[in-house]
Amino acid sequence: MAENKQPDNKPAGAKKRAGKGPNQRLRQRSAILIMIILILGFGAALSRLAILTLVQGRELQERAVGQQLADTTLTAKRGTIYDANGSVLAESASVWQVVMAPVNFENDQQREAAARGLSDILGLEYENVLEKTKQKSYYSVVKRKVEVEQRDRVIELISQLYEQYGCDGVIDLLDDYKRYYPHDELASCVIGFTGADEQGLEGVEWQYDDYLSGTPGRIVTAKNAQGTDMPFQYEQNIASKDGNNIYVTIDSNIQAICEKYMAQGIADNNVLNRGVCIAMDVNTGAIKAMVTANGYNLNDPYTLPADVQEEIDRLPEKEQAAAESEALSAMWRNKAVADTYMPGSVFKMCTASMALEEGKVNDNSSFMCGGSMVVEDKEIHCHALGGHGGQTFVEAICNSCNPAFIQIGQLVGLQKFRDYYKGFGFADKSGIDLPGESDDQFWEEGTMSTVDFAVASFGQNFSITPIQMITACAAVANGGYVLQPYVVSKITDAQGNVVKTVEKKVKRQVISKATSDKMNEILGYNTETAGATAGYVAGYKVAGKTGTSEKIGVTEKKSTFEEDYIASFCGYAPADDPQIAMLVFFDTPSGGAYYGSQVSSPVFINIMTEVLPYLEIKTNYSEEDLQYLDASAGDYSGLTIEEATAAAEKDGFTVTVKGGGEKVVSQIPAVSSKVSAGGNIVLYTDDESREETVMVPSFVELTAPEANMLAAEYGLNISFKGAVASGGTCSSQDLAEGKEVSPGTVVTLTFAAASGGGFND
Amino acid sequence: MAPNKKMILRADVNRIYDDEYRQRQQAKKEKLFSRPTRQRKMKNAKWFSIGMGIDLPFCLIILILLITGTIMMFSASYAFAYYTQGDSYAYLKRQLLFIALGIAAMAVMSFFNYNKLHKIAPFVLGFAYAALVLVLILPSAEGGVKRWIPLGIFNIQSSEIAKFAVILFFAHWASKYYKKMQLPKYSVLPGLTIFGSIAALLFFEPHYSGIVIIGILTVIMLYVGGMKTKYLLIGGAILLGVVFLLAVTGKLSYAMGRLDGWGQALTASRGTEEWDTTWQTRNSLYAIGSGGLWGLGLGQSRQKYLYLPEPQNDFIFAIVVEELGLIGATIILLIFALLIWRGITLSLRAKDKFGKLLGIGLTSQIGVQVVLNILVITDWLPNTGISLPFFSYGGSSLIMLLAQMGIVLSISRTANIEKQ
Repeated sequence: MAENKQPDNKPAGAKKRAGKGPNQRLRQRSAILIMIILILGFGAALSRLAILTLVQGRELQERAVGQQLADTTLTAKRGTIYDANGSVLAESASVWQVVMAPVNFENDQQREAAARGLSDILGLEYENVLEKTKQKSYYSVVKRKVEVEQRDRVIELISQLYEQYGCDGVIDLLDDYKRYYPHDELASCVIGFTGADEQGLEGVEWQYDDYLSGTPGRIVTAKNAQGTDMPFQYEQNIASKDGNNIYVTIDSNIQAICEKYMAQGIADNNVLNRGVCIAMDVNTGAIKAMVTANGYNLNDPYTLPADVQEEIDRLPEKEQAAAESEALSAMWRNKAVADTYMPGSVFKMCTASMALEEGKVNDNSSFMCGGSMVVEDKEIHCHALGGHGGQTFVEAICNSCNPAFIQIGQLVGLQKFRDYYKGFGFADKSGIDLPGESDDQFWEEGTMSTVDFAVASFGQNFSITPIQMITACAAVANGGYVLQPYVVSKITDAQGNVVKTVEKKVKRQVISKATSDKMNEILGYNTETAGATAGYVAGYKVAGKTGTSEKIGVTEKKSTFEEDYIASFCGYAPADDPQIAMLVFFDTPSGGAYYGSQVSSPVFINIMTEVLPYLEIKTNYSEEDLQYLDASAGDYSGLTIEEATAAAEKDGFTVTVKGGGEKVVSQIPAVSSKVSAGGNIVLYTDDESREETVMVPSFVELTAPEANMLAAEYGLNISFKGAVASGGTCSSQDLAEGKEVSPGTVVTLTFAAASGGGFND
Repeated sequence: MAPNKKMILRADVNRIYDDEYRQRQQAKKEKLFSRPTRQRKMKNAKWFSIGMGIDLPFCLIILILLITGTIMMFSASYAFAYYTQGDSYAYLKRQLLFIALGIAAMAVMSFFNYNKLHKIAPFVLGFAYAALVLVLILPSAEGGVKRWIPLGIFNIQSSEIAKFAVILFFAHWASKYYKKMQLPKYSVLPGLTIFGSIAALLFFEPHYSGIVIIGILTVIMLYVGGMKTKYLLIGGAILLGVVFLLAVTGKLSYAMGRLDGWGQALTASRGTEEWDTTWQTRNSLYAIGSGGLWGLGLGQSRQKYLYLPEPQNDFIFAIVVEELGLIGATIILLIFALLIWRGITLSLRAKDKFGKLLGIGLTSQIGVQVVLNILVITDWLPNTGISLPFFSYGGSSLIMLLAQMGIVLSISRTANIEKQ
């Protein structure tokens, strides 16, 4: 500095008096002082600032921005899930969350008033809310997913608090979304559900969470610590992007039909370990319906069935939590992909296909069955203890003869059998777009003994998933093409633009078209000859195979039978031009029967009877079928008794007139109801006579003619379903025995094989 | 070699006579025309004088800092003022009033003959003690802290008076006993006595940052005043021991409450007590980090929107960094450095030891406060309440500060330094 240059000739006098020494020491010490303050002190301060701004700056800024924008995150609306017809399966609706800035409370009076109001409106514990009002925070969530009515009451409370206590800027409402499932239980195992933050937890909701969830955004203005806007625009402003919509291949009509009959099947047969039903489009691999019965209410996924909950409540308190979470995960488990089972006789359709494809068998091949067969030193029994004797290849399939299939397997050869096993897709996961798919359990290369091979030929001692079975069944039906099963067909963005479409994907062709055609013919013949036991659906050519597999290796037997069984049925229709394949299986039935033909076939028939007309598949009634075909009741009301009687008789019905009036005021069955041909129309001429009722009798185990006679006796009408023509007996009725109904009411009867009959698996 | 008596006799007599005569004449002349001796100068000096003129650069630096500081104080305070007082200009208005008063005080002090302070230094010290005792007697303000003496329109911190008194007293003491300062009796003993007693009084307020600053100022004054470095080191060691002892006995409860969160600002988790105690420091760090190299721009701070409590006070520099960035902060620190440099160098050129020591002490006080303030807001020191000179809002301290700067300017009037 300039002043340093000229000091020498200055205060000469002072210098002499003070002496040079002390003065210089003062200079020195001042210099050291300056250095300490400027270099050490300022240096430390500056370097600290540099560290904070340059090194930690980004992180600190993020945290600052995070707090400035913390309560202003915009939730993205989660995408909607539609079924194949475009009807909504899952949808997010606007709700609100109540938040609080308890730091702004001024006194305890305000706190208590707010806590009382909020706990009243939102149904919360007063003590808990009061606790929250005492926190020193700017942001505390009181309750999420608050609906409109409650929101309105909260708004009222806010103004009330302001007027009475001068309490301001404490309670606020933020946008939130809530997931609604309009059909409750429908397709629960496919759709899945979401958690508190709308994150997908199961099913499609989980699998496609990235698509559905969208991108949350941030609001335009930054907020001060009290949550009001700062007077400038924040530059890093991102609008939220709503989630994509998903179209599943599930058709909710088919799904509903399947679920209805699966639930009935479970109830009828006292099934202990749930059941599965999968309907697949044979030509594309699209899943039309997938049921894990019984399902659960998607709007309330954390509530267990009452009986299970009761059982848990009886446990010691310590074990309850664990038991509850176990029961919940069991309830959510999608048996159709997550569980493996032994396919049993159903698998024979694969073994037969292999043999045909390899040219090892033809129509003339014959197989002997003496009731059992010895492989190496092990005797393997047939379900027909007396044996089937000599049979052709087709007869062997229809008889579902185990020894015959051991021989067929042996003709194919172990290595080829393994190759086909792989070829049908059993060795790999099907790759369906649902979570939790299991692997099959099969013998490792080189560990499969001759005995193992023998039992594997008829589907025992190895486990596959239901989805693998239906995929293989579809391959048998559709010309040999192993397809990629899928449940999501299309994804669109919030504006409806297509983001992704799923195309049919063929993995490989495992058997030729000719073999497939032959199998369709054989399995169709099987159904036709065996009737209801093999899934005969009146008016349609159906192909199918029953299966009853022992649950080998089960540690704790649950059913009343000697062993636990899985009763299954796998089939498709129409046999001459397969469109839809369906697998029905019940795990551990514990009612009157356990055979696939008794437990699963009727369910298959019931479902198909409704699904095939829905799919508009051409009917092909046999003459016998026609007798039991439904006719449609006409409109006879308003006519005179004579006119009405004539009209009804013209439509092929008999008539009963009740009441003393002259004109028909009402009729049972109602207009357009399905009534079996020759049914009885009850015409009422006044209203009083309508009070008359009859009691529904039990039709179960009656043959069709017997049922007709009983119905006539009671003055009821019947609608026939299932294999009425094939000598089946009634297995169930839609109106319970003993119910009081008006005369003429239609009771729908489903026919299936009579128990104790010639089941062929 | 023996002198030649003959040669000496005449010429030397003449010369000796001449010399004596000349000296006599010279003495007469000096008595009449030359500058008075130190004693006479002291006796005759006027209370106020222009002298050789104030040091313009130093004065300019002060004004620059004052203007910058006021702008930043306004920027930092307006949101807080708006939300808490309903008037964005509330703090600015009052600060401008204090600045006017402060500049007036500075001007008056710059004309004041600082040598007059020499005599009254012990009385000022006595006054400081009285103030320190007074606050302890007065009813305490919120939080049980007794620091302020209410003076009508503003309050004054007793420690502010104490800081000035300590600097003044040691400048007086060390210039009086400069040669004896190496003896512990004249340096260590008064240092310990005065610091110890003031520290004890501050301890009961309690005002720990005041203790720290007065301790540092005492050490600086003694060191510059000529105390042996040895005692400084011993003193430092003892001081550490005392602080340690206090900490162990748990009597630092108030400061410990704040120390608890020291360095934990970023790791504390939401909802804990620690989160609350470190709230101010954490938001200060957020502000500094948000500034980055270039800052968000003047007036663009977000942290001042109630995130950083009382942004116009001790933590104002955090907002400065947020708005002006590291660059702006560096420039401001450079101006502070320039002020300290100029203040000390001009003080060194003062006419007398008292001026030198007083000037160095008053200038160093600014340096110490700046450094401690920045270390506090950056969480390298516990949050104890040290204001930033020229920037922080505050009436009494600003007026005190400017008056003290006036004293330095007064010293500069006697300093032999080039004045632009």
